Amino acid sequence: MTTPMWALIAVFAPLASALLLAVLAPIRRRGGLAAAVSITFALASLVGAIFAVIGTLHAGGSDWTRSWLASGGALPLSVTFGVHVDGVSAPMLAVVALVATCVQLFSTGYLDDESSASRGRYFAYQSLFLFSMQLLVAAPNLLQLFFGWEIVGATSYLLIGYWYKKPSAARAAVKAFWVTKFADMGLLIGLVALFGFTGSFEWTAQLAPAAATAVTLLFVLAVMGKSAQFPLHVWLPDAMEGPTPVSALLHAATMVAAGVYLVVRAQPLFAQAPFTQHFLAYLGAGTALFAALLALVQTDLKRVLAYSTCSQLGYMLAALGAGSAFAGFFHLTTHAFFKALLFLAAGSVIHAVGSNEMSKMGGLWKKMPLTMLVFIAGAFSLAGFPGFAGFFSKDLIIDSLSEHHLWAPYAALLLGAFLTALYMGRAILLTFFGPHESHEAEHAHEPGWSMKLPLIVLALLSVGAGFFGGDLWHLASLTDYVHGVYHFRFGAVASVLALSGFVVAWVAWGKTREEPALARSLAAFANRAWVDRLYVFGYRAGLLLVSDVAAWIDRYIVDALVNVVGSFFLLGARRARRLQTGNVQDYLFAMSLGAIALAVWSIWR
Amino acid sequence: MTLTTCLILSAALFSVGLYGLLTRRHAVGILLSIEVMANAANLNFVAFAHYGGASWGQAFALFVLGLTVAEVAIGLALVMLLFRSHKDVLVDLANAFKH
Repeated sequence: MTTPMWALIAVFAPLASALLLAVLAPIRRRGGLAAAVSITFALASLVGAIFAVIGTLHAGGSDWTRSWLASGGALPLSVTFGVHVDGVSAPMLAVVALVATCVQLFSTGYLDDESSASRGRYFAYQSLFLFSMQLLVAAPNLLQLFFGWEIVGATSYLLIGYWYKKPSAARAAVKAFWVTKFADMGLLIGLVALFGFTGSFEWTAQLAPAAATAVTLLFVLAVMGKSAQFPLHVWLPDAMEGPTPVSALLHAATMVAAGVYLVVRAQPLFAQAPFTQHFLAYLGAGTALFAALLALVQTDLKRVLAYSTCSQLGYMLAALGAGSAFAGFFHLTTHAFFKALLFLAAGSVIHAVGSNEMSKMGGLWKKMPLTMLVFIAGAFSLAGFPGFAGFFSKDLIIDSLSEHHLWAPYAALLLGAFLTALYMGRAILLTFFGPHESHEAEHAHEPGWSMKLPLIVLALLSVGAGFFGGDLWHLASLTDYVHGVYHFRFGAVASVLALSGFVVAWVAWGKTREEPALARSLAAFANRAWVDRLYVFGYRAGLLLVSDVAAWIDRYIVDALVNVVGSFFLLGARRARRLQTGNVQDYLFAMSLGAIALAVWSIWR
Repeated sequence: MTLTTCLILSAALFSVGLYGLLTRRHAVGILLSIEVMANAANLNFVAFAHYGGASWGQAFALFVLGLTVAEVAIGLALVMLLFRSHKDVLVDLANAFKH
């Protein structure tokens, strides 16, 4: 089998599973069977992706494409679909399939108290999500990527709203859908503009400088929505209403990384637009710092992780803004592992305690030692503790910013690194240490093997993945990094900041569960609601006002015009109807007159 | 008699028939008017055949006679139906499609 064939399996195996579960109700209604089908096909996808990586390692990338849309005309259209396998997409396929398999396995344990039919529905969504993500990752052009992008958005909506009877979950699903759809308009308009300028949907297109800036800025809008960057990050914390494995897969490891992946893919386009790149660097760094501050004051464990995800995505985009696609891509892969791990470990805790609130946890280290260990491994990796996976990738990002002399983002990211360690330290201390804060926490216990196994696999990857940075660099061969070579330099400043973050966390929350005064005032100031309120205000003052005016114009001007024209013909017809007597002789009379008139005309003309 | 007198006679016959067709309300009267108009056409055929020397025009006159017989058969059948449904044969009564 050739490399693209393996990639095709990686993409289409989950589609087969989704169709099976969607069409064959008997399988779907039996929750366990549905889970088995879904996990089997996810494993098939993983195997396909791994062989695609191996093939790429041995023989380089290759494509399998078929003509999809073709037309003539002034701007001839020629679009292909298929798979594009190279050093970027193949590892990404593997990462997505791996995390998805782990998450699906974890879900069988996490959702064990759901009804079978409802679990079947869950796994159908999961398979559809995996398919759409793989479709996006393997896309040979931006149009196929857009298709994957949109299906991903739809499955995100379905999965956030999985508990659709819960009003908050239904609202969160709608909010996520609206915000990301709004942003997706940027991608759509950008694609049309790109096609208008170049006549193709390739990310290697050459554009005039102004056109490149316009197109990439439109793409950035879509990235801001999908990858939850300020100010379109508001949907991500609310998306935590979905089941925790969903948060792990979609809203931490893979889907939100699609925005970053788009920028990595479209790097040839972004390289033509220095302004967009600068904007991206500042946007990413600003979000990284802002979201880290917000993560520090959350009381809900999942929301801490959600803001942390915003923050880490900001890191990746900052690196891409600095032109270091590899640094961003590397952090994307390591982040997928450790953030999925953190969410699944949090899921294990939430499953045991029955609440998201850290004030109901505490002292869990005795009850759930394995969960605590993997959570700490994930937290250390996230904070960039030396030797863990996140350390390598995050250092590369910070390094790339200093190499490109982007000092303000550089400082923001360093401060963000300190805050990351601080809020993760706080989360660990509040969750696993101190006294038991609730009855459930006292009686918590480790989950079953279906949940433990994914935790262990992801923990190993979170600890070890960083050592494969050099291999990934050779495989991906992204033409960027700082001097065209990958060399890891020990980022002492960032490491010291990360360590001091943990120390400060220990000082602040080690002995007491009281929030320090500084954190409390920060919480009041940085209350996440203000961005939301801004949107509500914008909605009321802007959108509703505009729509009222538009409604008035529509009703009294546009509709009135139409009505006048309509009633003219209505009244005219009512008069003209009288000509039609229904009497044949009258018609004959008219015909005779006509014939006579014709005869007279033919003689006298 | 010349061709012109024949044609004038034919035109007069046709006009009389048309007038009857347009003004009569009685169905049988309408059928009679149509016959008059058909015979005006017939007169034209015969006149042109006679003066023009194309004798097959007379054959056409026979065709027209056959045609009008068939037409009268159908027309009278319609009159019968009209009488059965309305107890009268005024064509104004057959206005069901208008309502």
